[in-house]
Amino acid sequence: MANTIASQGVSVSGAQRANRAGRHAALIGQGIGAWLFLAPAVVFFVGYQVYPIFRVLWMSFTDYQFLSNAPSHWVWFDNYESALSDPLLWSSLWRAAIFTIMFLPGTIILPLLLAILVDRVANPRLATVYRVVLLIPAVIPSTLVFVLWKWMYNYQAGPINHFLVDTTGLFTLQNAPQWLGGTPLTLPSIAVMEVWWGLGYHTIFFIAGLAAIPKDLPEAARIDGANEWQVFWHVTRPRLAPIMMILVVLRFGTAMAVIDEYLIFGGFNRASPTYTWTIFMYDQAFKLGLWRQGYAAAIGMIGAIAMMFVMVILLRIFRPKG
Amino acid sequence: MTVEAVHRGPIASGSIAGSTPAPGWFKQNRSAIVRHAVINFFMLIILAPLAWVLVMSVKSLPDAMRGDFWPRTFDFTHYTYVFERIATLPVNLFNSIYVTAATVLITTFCAVLAGYALVHLRPRGAGLVVTALLVSLYFPVRVVSLISIYETQHWLGLINSTSGLILPYVTLQLAISILIMRSMFQLVPHELIEAARIDGAGHWRTLWTVGVPMVRNGLVVIFIVNFVAAWGEYLLCLTLVDDEAKRTMPVVLAAAQGGQGYWAWPNLAAVYVIVVTPGILAFSFAQRLFFKGLAEGVVKG
Repeated sequence: MANTIASQGVSVSGAQRANRAGRHAALIGQGIGAWLFLAPAVVFFVGYQVYPIFRVLWMSFTDYQFLSNAPSHWVWFDNYESALSDPLLWSSLWRAAIFTIMFLPGTIILPLLLAILVDRVANPRLATVYRVVLLIPAVIPSTLVFVLWKWMYNYQAGPINHFLVDTTGLFTLQNAPQWLGGTPLTLPSIAVMEVWWGLGYHTIFFIAGLAAIPKDLPEAARIDGANEWQVFWHVTRPRLAPIMMILVVLRFGTAMAVIDEYLIFGGFNRASPTYTWTIFMYDQAFKLGLWRQGYAAAIGMIGAIAMMFVMVILLRIFRPKG
Repeated sequence: MTVEAVHRGPIASGSIAGSTPAPGWFKQNRSAIVRHAVINFFMLIILAPLAWVLVMSVKSLPDAMRGDFWPRTFDFTHYTYVFERIATLPVNLFNSIYVTAATVLITTFCAVLAGYALVHLRPRGAGLVVTALLVSLYFPVRVVSLISIYETQHWLGLINSTSGLILPYVTLQLAISILIMRSMFQLVPHELIEAARIDGAGHWRTLWTVGVPMVRNGLVVIFIVNFVAAWGEYLLCLTLVDDEAKRTMPVVLAAAQGGQGYWAWPNLAAVYVIVVTPGILAFSFAQRLFFKGLAEGVVKG
């Protein structure tokens, strides 16, 4: 499979080289035509992704207030200075980091384990059933996952507390755990939900990676006397490293920038562990009467820059060798 | 024979209890049994919350209060009740369908054109476009851009407009859709495109008659990815639309508190099942194509 793709790649670039020389004159016309094909995508991408980022960057250096009619002034780093001297910014960044630390290991290691197990299922029908079930949570849209788990964790009516109180009797109605709503359990509860959500999708990712490893490699290692752990560590793991790197970095990004879940499960209580930099930004921009969007923009940029900084470090750590 | 038994998996463990197997059987297949037990444990965890909602949606009201998993009396009327009694619900559902359909169509159209252009037309600056798309996957664009998108939508007069949501929704998964399409078109041999061109077809016709049929697995992936994103979008709809009747289902569902009356638990569960089923059904039908597309995308990417 990998071979056929590689050889195709070679022949494609070969054909291109031959064509390029022959059709040099047509190149200018072709360039405009090509950009016509790209235009719809580029218009949307620039309008709603690239421009907003630069617009927010500009706002972060001004005292921009959407609701005020007064023109905004360039204030240089004032917003950044007041944000960085606000303890709330540091605790909100720290809360996002804590959530990421709780979430990231589970969402990488569990799917990896599951993928290794499912990969060995030889019966094709059973393997298909497993794969379909695995991907079901991935086709449940985000908010519907959160709503579902909001019910799972519900203090009175949720099945989890029902199990703990009525079925097993480990807790009573008075001291049953309060999973959501700004309690210390809120972040771990959300992390468990997120692991559940990504479990199948990440497993499928790893299964695709495992399928690309030639079967005779682990076989040869076993014949040489390696045990299962050694086979995993020396044969499988290095070949999954690229996939693992992508997952770690991407999921680090999603975890640090979680916002919908905190809006639904936590609200705007500043003492809640869900009051992270994303909620802080949203609060400043849309909730508090002032709508201080310049300040909110600075918070957003600080959060984003902090994230990107760690991502670059992660990319360096997890970059496959060779 | 033992190989057969192993593959029967979860059912096989049932048959162990029924008929006493040969003494060496369990020992021989121990690793396979443990493996299937672990897999099925995870399957159970994945399916249990969904099963809970499904059963809840057909529980009678007293059973819903009781909390037992299996109801004593079934009541299927919640499905009709929610549509007859909650006035905004059909409107919200229509909003969701409308916004999602438009988003999926526009994004797919953009992604197919862009993917084709990036691979087979290679304009100057294509590398820059791909880099920008990749960077946008790692940058928290969705969160940070919110303030500016609010401003843009206000400027366009699209605050509190359901149709207005389509514009930012298109970009939710646009970058990843283009990148998937790009890797799909890289699998289409350049000679094939050239042959169609020599036969006199323009790029537009070549794309739709030769290119698109060859990337249909990728199309399935893009359809599903964009459907999931738009169907469940919460943040933008919450921020840009205030009017209950103009909002989409996710915002309505997230705001609904389970309890008595209209939003009694079984009613809420019935609404949930109605909203969550289309995606799961569509995926189940398309899963063979989806996995093919995913494998092709992952191997390349």
